[in-house]
Amino acid sequence: MATVAELLDQGVKAYTRGDSAEAERFWEQALELDPKNERVRAYLKQVRGELPPRPGEPPPAPEPAPRAEPVFEPSPWDAGPTSVATVVVEDGDGLDLDAVGEKSEIRSLVPDRKPSARSPAPGEVATWMEGARELFALGDFSGSLEMIERILRVDPTHAEARAYLRQNEATLVAMYESKLGPLSSVPRLAIHAEEVMWLNLDHRAGFLLAQVDGTVSFDDLFALSGLPRLDTARILASLLAEGVIR
Amino acid sequence: MNENEPFIGIDLGTTNSVVATVIDGVPRVIASRTGQTLTPSVVAVSRNGKRLVGHMAKRQAITNAENTAHAAKRLIGRRWGSPEVEDARKSLPYELVPGPEGNDIRAMLGGRTFAIPEISALVLAELKADAEAFFGRRVTKAVITVPAYFNDGQRQGTKDAGRIAGLEVVRIINEPTSAALAYGFGKQMEKKVAVIDLGGGTFDVSILDVGKSVYDVIAVGGDTYLGGEDFDRRVIDWLVFSFAQEHQGIDLRQDKMAMQRLRDAAERAKIELSETSQAAIHLPFLASGSDGKAAVHLDRQLTRDKLEELTQDLVDKTIQVADRTLRDAGVRVGQIGEVLLVGGMTRMPRVQQAVRQHFGREPSRGVHPEEVVALGAAIQAHALLHPQKGKEVLLLDVTPQNLGIMVVGGYFSTVIPRNTTVPTSQSHLFTTVQDSQTSVRIAVLQGGSDKAVENELLGEFVLDGLRSAQRGEVEIEVSFDISADGIVGVSARDSATGARQSITVTATSGLTEAEMRRILEENMDEMLTRRQVGDFERLRDRTRAVISEIEGLSPRVKESLARSRFGKDAVVKAEDVVGRARDAIEKGDLQQMIAVEEQLDRALQLFKGLVGGAASGPKDPS
Repeated sequence: MATVAELLDQGVKAYTRGDSAEAERFWEQALELDPKNERVRAYLKQVRGELPPRPGEPPPAPEPAPRAEPVFEPSPWDAGPTSVATVVVEDGDGLDLDAVGEKSEIRSLVPDRKPSARSPAPGEVATWMEGARELFALGDFSGSLEMIERILRVDPTHAEARAYLRQNEATLVAMYESKLGPLSSVPRLAIHAEEVMWLNLDHRAGFLLAQVDGTVSFDDLFALSGLPRLDTARILASLLAEGVIR
Repeated sequence: MNENEPFIGIDLGTTNSVVATVIDGVPRVIASRTGQTLTPSVVAVSRNGKRLVGHMAKRQAITNAENTAHAAKRLIGRRWGSPEVEDARKSLPYELVPGPEGNDIRAMLGGRTFAIPEISALVLAELKADAEAFFGRRVTKAVITVPAYFNDGQRQGTKDAGRIAGLEVVRIINEPTSAALAYGFGKQMEKKVAVIDLGGGTFDVSILDVGKSVYDVIAVGGDTYLGGEDFDRRVIDWLVFSFAQEHQGIDLRQDKMAMQRLRDAAERAKIELSETSQAAIHLPFLASGSDGKAAVHLDRQLTRDKLEELTQDLVDKTIQVADRTLRDAGVRVGQIGEVLLVGGMTRMPRVQQAVRQHFGREPSRGVHPEEVVALGAAIQAHALLHPQKGKEVLLLDVTPQNLGIMVVGGYFSTVIPRNTTVPTSQSHLFTTVQDSQTSVRIAVLQGGSDKAVENELLGEFVLDGLRSAQRGEVEIEVSFDISADGIVGVSARDSATGARQSITVTATSGLTEAEMRRILEENMDEMLTRRQVGDFERLRDRTRAVISEIEGLSPRVKESLARSRFGKDAVVKAEDVVGRARDAIEKGDLQQMIAVEEQLDRALQLFKGLVGGAASGPKDPS
């Protein structure tokens, strides 16, 4: 049975490919499992149109939790999830587009072939850009990144898209890394070695998992992997979340 | 020196390096901080700009081949354009460029050039750090081993590497001598010894004449491109081929990640087969399936018989090389009193069997073949730094190769033979070869070949003003003088007129003193940066852990404060501190993190107190 995180993720993917009904279905399932999950609630409001999109604005604060005795002034915690983190991005801090195109198969940001003959419909890029901004504001950096990639496939020089690309990447890397805990800690296999082959991994995850031998730290794995940092962080966070490593 | 000052012996190998010492009279290998006795002689700059040394560098050597330097030993002290460097350029995946003066070599790693001694220095520094972790204090004195055939330039390059790594190299000794020292430790041997050294990347055969306190290398031979890596490659090729057959032609050679895993697995299986008859090679999710199908696994059993079949020609080659070396030295197999096995590959039963058959005797295996050279170096360091009269063998510093000049016909005439103890001074008389010859060119050479061109040119000068006479009548005295520091002075004098000319030759690795200073300063900066990065990473991890703990406690703190008048202000401050700590992590600001560290700890204590108080302490009187 899918977890809340998986349902959330599937919903985001459905939403970004334009299938709002499917997205709503996934998020409803997630809400059934975790009725208090504010993120799911915010997504549902978004997809149901209860929350008109306001480009560039942070997501609305969820309603404060009911309290029996609201005697004192509300604590900042009562506001629920904080607003979107401000990410300061220096030049050159983003994904190396060429490197990703050549070496990563997670997503090819800039195809090495010429853009397809089909040009986007007029205004389509602007719509995608707006979608990327909204998803970013909602804190859905993966979704925003997918939109950005779509734009860069047809217009690799799109300045705003490239700026968002860097912001999304920096934010996602920070998110995944925070899930890993201290980067100096040494991950270990949490399952029997014989069970590894029953997992559903791709060969990059297989490579990274093969490096986990109880002697190398997460920091070392970033240096060893040969993949862009985002890809490495995402794979490791996923292996950790699935209980493959600990 | 201080009686307790630690010292080390280092086997700086082409493929792997080992560090050892002597404790209470017993030589022993120092394990690395991760528990391994071998440190790969590999240095890399990873894609994220991190310098990697040893095992870490080796583990990404294929996926990041163009930024990973291995086998630097093949290049140290060599000249740009020499046949050895040209050969190396064909086989090494990293880029080599000429040095600033065009006569030595630099390696390009991560967009930066490294002098070859700098690369070896990183390996030495790693071993030094392991030794310091073992002793719990600074280590500065070392004996380092080099192949017997290394010339002065290569030896100087090794010394330079030691200096860059912060080591005082008290002596450079020959590897086969070091191995023999380790075997003869505590014994008195007088015999001819064959040292068969099959390492990771090179094969060296040395014949030593060992007497009381004398270790004379009388012949060396080998193949600088034959070693354990060739055996690994055979296993890899076998795996790649069988995998392609099984999986519709998937060519693993196109996938660097797969090749990295294959190489590691092949080496592991080969080592395992020295002890067992069968090894399992299991690599899940090795490669993408064809046509976008799920990733596929590799599962094979490698038997010892199969490994021997795959590598038979390599084993045969080692015996051929050993045989040729004996013949060149004019030594019969029957004259060999001891055969010593050195290098990891000699643990392979088939290699031992071949050596046994060829030499007609059981090879000595009393000392671990991968550790024996380092142990010998440690024994020598101990003898040099803690001499005990009559108890230990003290090797004298000797000239590694013949020194001499070029003579008519392009031949090499030796003035100071190999293995002469330094300091020394020797002279030879030469004559003119032409009638009315008033000048002569003196080309100073070092090497073992009769042909001048096959030896290393150390320097040259012209002596003119000679008396005009018939050929053969003018006598020129050529004198070589080698100081205790290895500086060679060569002078030529016309016996009749007294005209004199001279040159001083100092062994050089190609690094100038100014460059050496720059490298030492850069290393200092690098160490400081690494220290700061290390400090930052440690504090970042700790800060994240404290923030996580505070956030974990926060719901219970809020719950407890909801019914209290107190603590609200402190909690707001705590939130502010958490916010600033997060900000410091995001910005990578070490100073800001240090500034909030104490406040963050106080906030955590406050939260713990509030939660603990709510659970067990007195309630708010209101």
